[in-house]
Amino acid sequence: MRPILLQGHERSLTQIKFNNEGDLLFSCSKDHIINVWFSHNGERLGTYDGHNGTVWTIDVDSQSKYLISGSADNTLRLWSVSTGKCLFTWEFPTAVKRVHFSDDDEQVVCITEQRMGHQGAIRVFKINRDGDGTNQSPDPLHMFHPIGSKATVCAFSYTPNIIITGHESGKVALFDVSTGNEILNNERAHMDVVTDMQLSVDASYFITSSKDKTARLHDTKTLKVLKTFPTETPLNSAALSPTRPYVLLGGGQEAMQVTTTSLRQGKFETRFWHKVFEEEVGRVKGHFGPINTIAVHPAGTCYASGGEDGFVRVHHFDDTYYRAKPYGDLEIDD
Amino acid sequence: EDAAEESNVSAELIAHRKRLVDEWNAWRAHCKKAIADEKRTRGQKVNGELHEEEKEEIE
Repeated sequence: MRPILLQGHERSLTQIKFNNEGDLLFSCSKDHIINVWFSHNGERLGTYDGHNGTVWTIDVDSQSKYLISGSADNTLRLWSVSTGKCLFTWEFPTAVKRVHFSDDDEQVVCITEQRMGHQGAIRVFKINRDGDGTNQSPDPLHMFHPIGSKATVCAFSYTPNIIITGHESGKVALFDVSTGNEILNNERAHMDVVTDMQLSVDASYFITSSKDKTARLHDTKTLKVLKTFPTETPLNSAALSPTRPYVLLGGGQEAMQVTTTSLRQGKFETRFWHKVFEEEVGRVKGHFGPINTIAVHPAGTCYASGGEDGFVRVHHFDDTYYRAKPYGDLEIDD
Repeated sequence: EDAAEESNVSAELIAHRKRLVDEWNAWRAHCKKAIADEKRTRGQKVNGELHEEEKEEIE
């Protein structure tokens, strides 16, 4: 499993995403740049240049036509994937921390930060897919301010108008975007900031990572915690592997805190855990700093990690990974 | 032979894992049905029930 090293960012990675086919990998960084790479060989296909601050978050639609990005320059941008052109820019009073495309590509949800007299907000925009993509409405379809702990991550659920959120306090919740009402929450989903949230293919369950050093699987309908994966290090990202019953966790202690903590915590490895048995099955080393973001190829054939060290590492699984049956012949549904 | 012996030792663990898998698979089957039902009540097409004029995207 020799990794491909993607060198093209000058500062730490904030989020990486595969497109629906998995042939393209998008990455964004504190260096203000978004890159797109061929996942099979790591060759850079292009960049999306225009943001004037850290790009915190990206998402690509299911057709690989539009890319959406959110940045510390207080803008949300829509890009043409194939030309690299910025098609539309939405401006806000504060930074955009998280974006997510709906399943049907018709909507985008974003979180803007709470800062200096501005409440944190969640907005849903309708994406006009007719024409060249430049004719977008500047006004959101829905907007609300979640009360209580601020939202850090969000995603559309499989029910229209219901979004899933993760919060600074460790809470996960379901919101109705049309009313702004919190429909359901689990205040004690985590004990610290929720840092990442990724959905299963059918969105019926999702995984969260947290600074509380655990990752958890949650039932989307009830928000009940299904599984817990405890580690020794604050986690920044958690991903679900399709086709294999594993979850991938990444994190690591910040460099400034390494000297004050035990040796093991400073290790920057991607941890593989068995999704159902809650047992660690392996670790992959490589990064020289905390792992900030992990994504798994939609077909489960490779995964990528983006680090505080500015590198993206793409690992293609080899035959032994597929043949390995560390737990016998048990068939586990995805 | 060694492997077989080892598996005897951890028979309890194997039974435990089997139970976890059974629980998980039962819950997945329940989820899939619930989602299909919900989509149907909204008049959406369900995966596996593709109509000829419009193919639903495979997620």
